[in-house]
Amino acid sequence: MSKINDRSREIGEYIAQPDDDLIICRCEEITKGEIRKAVYDGMFTITEIRRYLRTGMGLCQGQTCAKLVKGIVARELGVSPLSIEAAMSRAPMRPIEMKVLGNEIS
Amino acid sequence: MKNCADVIIVGSGVIGNAAAYYLAKRGASVIVLEKSDNIGDGGSSRNGGGVRQSGRDKRELPLAMFGIKNLWPTLSEELEMDVEYYQDGNLRLGKTAAHIQTLTGLTNNATDCGLDVSMISGDDARQICPYLSEEVTGASWCPTDGHANPLLTTLAYYRKARQLGVRFITGEEVVEIRKIKGKARQVLTPNNSYEGETIILAAGYDSRKIASTFGIDIPMTQALLEVLVTEAQPPMFYQMLGTAAADFYGHQSTHGSFVFGGSSGLEDVNKDNGTPTSTSLTASCICRGIMKYFPILEDIKIVRSWAGWMDVCVDHVPVLSFVEEVPGIILASAFSGHGFGISPAVGTLLSEMVIDGQPSLDLSALRYDRFKAKI
Amino acid sequence: MKRYDVIVVGAGPAGLSAAIEAGKKGLRVIVFDENAKPGGQLFKQIHKFFGSIEHKAKIRGFKIGEDLLKEASAAGVEVVLNAIVIGLFLDKEITVQINDAVVHYKGDAIIVATGASENMITFNGWTLPGVIGAGAAQTMMNLHRVKPGKKILMLGTGNVGLVVSFQLMQAGCEVVALVDAAPKIGGYGVHAAKVARCGVPFYLSHTIIKAEGDDCVTGVTIGAVDNKWQLIPGTEKHFDIDTICLAVGLSPMSQLLKMAGCEMEDNPAKGGLVPTCDQYGETSIDGIFVSGDVSGIEEASSAMIGGRISGVAAAYRLGFIDYEELELKSEALKKALLSLRQGMFGPENKGKELTKTEEGYAISANLLTKGYLTNEEVMNYPGVKTMKGIHPIIECSQNIPCNPCQDACKKKCITIGDNITALPVVDEASQCSGCGMCVASCSGQSIFLLNEDYEEGYASVTLPYEFSPLPQKGMMGFALDRSGKAICEAEVVDVKSAPAFDHSNLLTIKVPKEMGMNARFFK
Repeated sequence: MSKINDRSREIGEYIAQPDDDLIICRCEEITKGEIRKAVYDGMFTITEIRRYLRTGMGLCQGQTCAKLVKGIVARELGVSPLSIEAAMSRAPMRPIEMKVLGNEIS
Repeated sequence: MKNCADVIIVGSGVIGNAAAYYLAKRGASVIVLEKSDNIGDGGSSRNGGGVRQSGRDKRELPLAMFGIKNLWPTLSEELEMDVEYYQDGNLRLGKTAAHIQTLTGLTNNATDCGLDVSMISGDDARQICPYLSEEVTGASWCPTDGHANPLLTTLAYYRKARQLGVRFITGEEVVEIRKIKGKARQVLTPNNSYEGETIILAAGYDSRKIASTFGIDIPMTQALLEVLVTEAQPPMFYQMLGTAAADFYGHQSTHGSFVFGGSSGLEDVNKDNGTPTSTSLTASCICRGIMKYFPILEDIKIVRSWAGWMDVCVDHVPVLSFVEEVPGIILASAFSGHGFGISPAVGTLLSEMVIDGQPSLDLSALRYDRFKAKI
Repeated sequence: MKRYDVIVVGAGPAGLSAAIEAGKKGLRVIVFDENAKPGGQLFKQIHKFFGSIEHKAKIRGFKIGEDLLKEASAAGVEVVLNAIVIGLFLDKEITVQINDAVVHYKGDAIIVATGASENMITFNGWTLPGVIGAGAAQTMMNLHRVKPGKKILMLGTGNVGLVVSFQLMQAGCEVVALVDAAPKIGGYGVHAAKVARCGVPFYLSHTIIKAEGDDCVTGVTIGAVDNKWQLIPGTEKHFDIDTICLAVGLSPMSQLLKMAGCEMEDNPAKGGLVPTCDQYGETSIDGIFVSGDVSGIEEASSAMIGGRISGVAAAYRLGFIDYEELELKSEALKKALLSLRQGMFGPENKGKELTKTEEGYAISANLLTKGYLTNEEVMNYPGVKTMKGIHPIIECSQNIPCNPCQDACKKKCITIGDNITALPVVDEASQCSGCGMCVASCSGQSIFLLNEDYEEGYASVTLPYEFSPLPQKGMMGFALDRSGKAICEAEVVDVKSAPAFDHSNLLTIKVPKEMGMNARFFK
């Protein structure tokens, strides 16, 4: 469900934290600090964070980091993680070789 | 916060965001309204990233050439964010005599317009991209073409425009544009109302429905566009690729993954169930298309595919136009799947239309009232 | 296109159960699973399950898996392994990777039972090799027969953390500590007690500060946290270890459903993103069902019942059974499901501060923080009675849905009653024969036989023993108390292994009479 989300609302400024260098998305090696900074760059949704940083776009498709990223974004925006929409799921559910995907049996 | 601005832009795709940025840079106050929860959720995030001049209709070619000459080379610097622009040329590949004929026709049209594009042999093409199959017998080659990352470009314009004070509101669906005393001025959403001296309608296919509220029709349909992405590979080649047979198109990205788009041929009649879900057929079809030209890629893995609707104009070029009969409105829609590569130019031209009262390029071929009956 | 009445995605407990019910009603059913073996997580569950005797309680997980496979085959269910469902598209079409091809299938109903994946939490060094999920550790040791490490620290004291810690010790690993940021142990007290009596300390209100090591884990530092989860300086504690196991919850693997366009909700009580569904597990898209962990994290017993409900509902939707049969069948199953969800650990009591059992007995604070009952506390419960001669001591002090002990005793010494979560009561008037069936039947290993009149000045204690090598009769060692502390010398006076015990060996040790109520393990 779409919710009105004013991207100019005040969320304060990015302040570095000691654990900003923690890797959150292992597949794409994205750190907590990068995710936090992205929020202050205006990326308020998980989908935008993904497009901006590639979090959850690696081999595991975000199964490992989705909750973690959501938690970080929610904290920076000062909202409940439950109010943040999960990213879309996309086929293929597991990585698949091009020659196999191209070899269809109907 | 006040809901008035010099310009209200409907649609936060790459076109709307680019316009917002160039307008804000020139001092205009701007509000951008986006129906989706996410910035750039339409075609802007679901395209192959081509920044091409070759293969374009001559009516939009000047825009492509203007952008590639003046805007793309410095865009990352200007937006202070790497948009992953590569100007390594475009190869449009052919394998049969019919393909070569098609490519030669396109090439001749483009050279007539002053574009540096030529037909080359299969071996010449393999000189440029050594991974190509032996079956490729010829190609058109445009060395000044390239590609960029559409996700990052869309967000880079957004980020920079936001920094310049543009107000972006997502989850805000425009349902009507109202004329006040003869001039389009009020933009209505289910719960709010916004006012602007100028209103730019850049809402993709949804523009048709919105334009109907002020009595204008843009003759377009929507077609599903599907793209897939592979796992990252070591750097192989950075040309933009396409084929005469439209089997696939795409490129390798900075990240190392290949981004390939294509079609199943059933796009025009695809079922729309409300979610932009991929079809069960297209990704496999794209794979077969790619392997016909790049058998070397057959073992790399596809990690994701996605689909989205594009706004296809009846004559396959955009509507980029003032609407004299509805003062205050500028249409920027119906990009027909070619919008990304020309978005910096379109954004610039839109800012000129608003601030200077006219664009610096002749856009008369893209007017909203060009559609006539066939007899 | 290949078409089936029902396509089931996932051959775990939920998926197989759904397939069995649908198959039994005459539906054409096919099950796909991406693994080389069916059964989902069942085949690594070497412990005995809780629950009611009608629903596989006291049977070990892998045995339940074998039974389900037989039942599926008898119901005519086709199970395709190494088959990865890569997409769920419009019109209930799926694409499946099988060998070197992608095969298209359509089902009139689809039952998604894809299970869950393990959560991770982040701390300095969490990406080092040696930090693994507890479920992964279980897979390594119980399926692949590989020890995950030599010295292990477990983070998380839910049932997974407790059960896997015990199994790690069974596999011969050393578990140095169990750590949890919460102030209380999250899982069943009986599971905690099994671990505690082996001498493993619990660190509640503690968290991992960092995993140490350059290329792999060589140590870990933990520290205490306050009630706002902030680290308390000066409480750091270091362990030399090579493995950190994370047992910090599961997340439903619901991507297929999200992709299909099912209405989803982020529900923390269900473990994350799940499709909204009705009482039969049917999602917002007609004919797409979910069951098991993908519809909300629970455990295998409820997954199996939930699966059966979805299977029956699919049979109804496709016109194989009428409404009465649906009602009849599903009501019984729903009742069983409801009973599993009762008790202290049921969803209704999640997050509540309980101080008393349903019967009004005080809940042991010691059990919740240290993992064991004190000598004084243990006397409070209805399973512990002072009796002459040999008799059972049931150290079961929490309302959990489990009742095999009641049927295990042929002498009717033990009563639970119809309420499956009630604490077992030992009848002082009954005549215990010392057969030990109750000891072996207790999935929580919390039943012991005590005979304080064994010999002059000596008592005998019979305890469940699932370690190898099995001590021999006549062997001398130490008796450990509930906290794992050696309290006295002990002699093994009897060792019983019988097929009916299902690998829970009964070890009887002789200890000084006053230690009879304290000695609970042998080393």
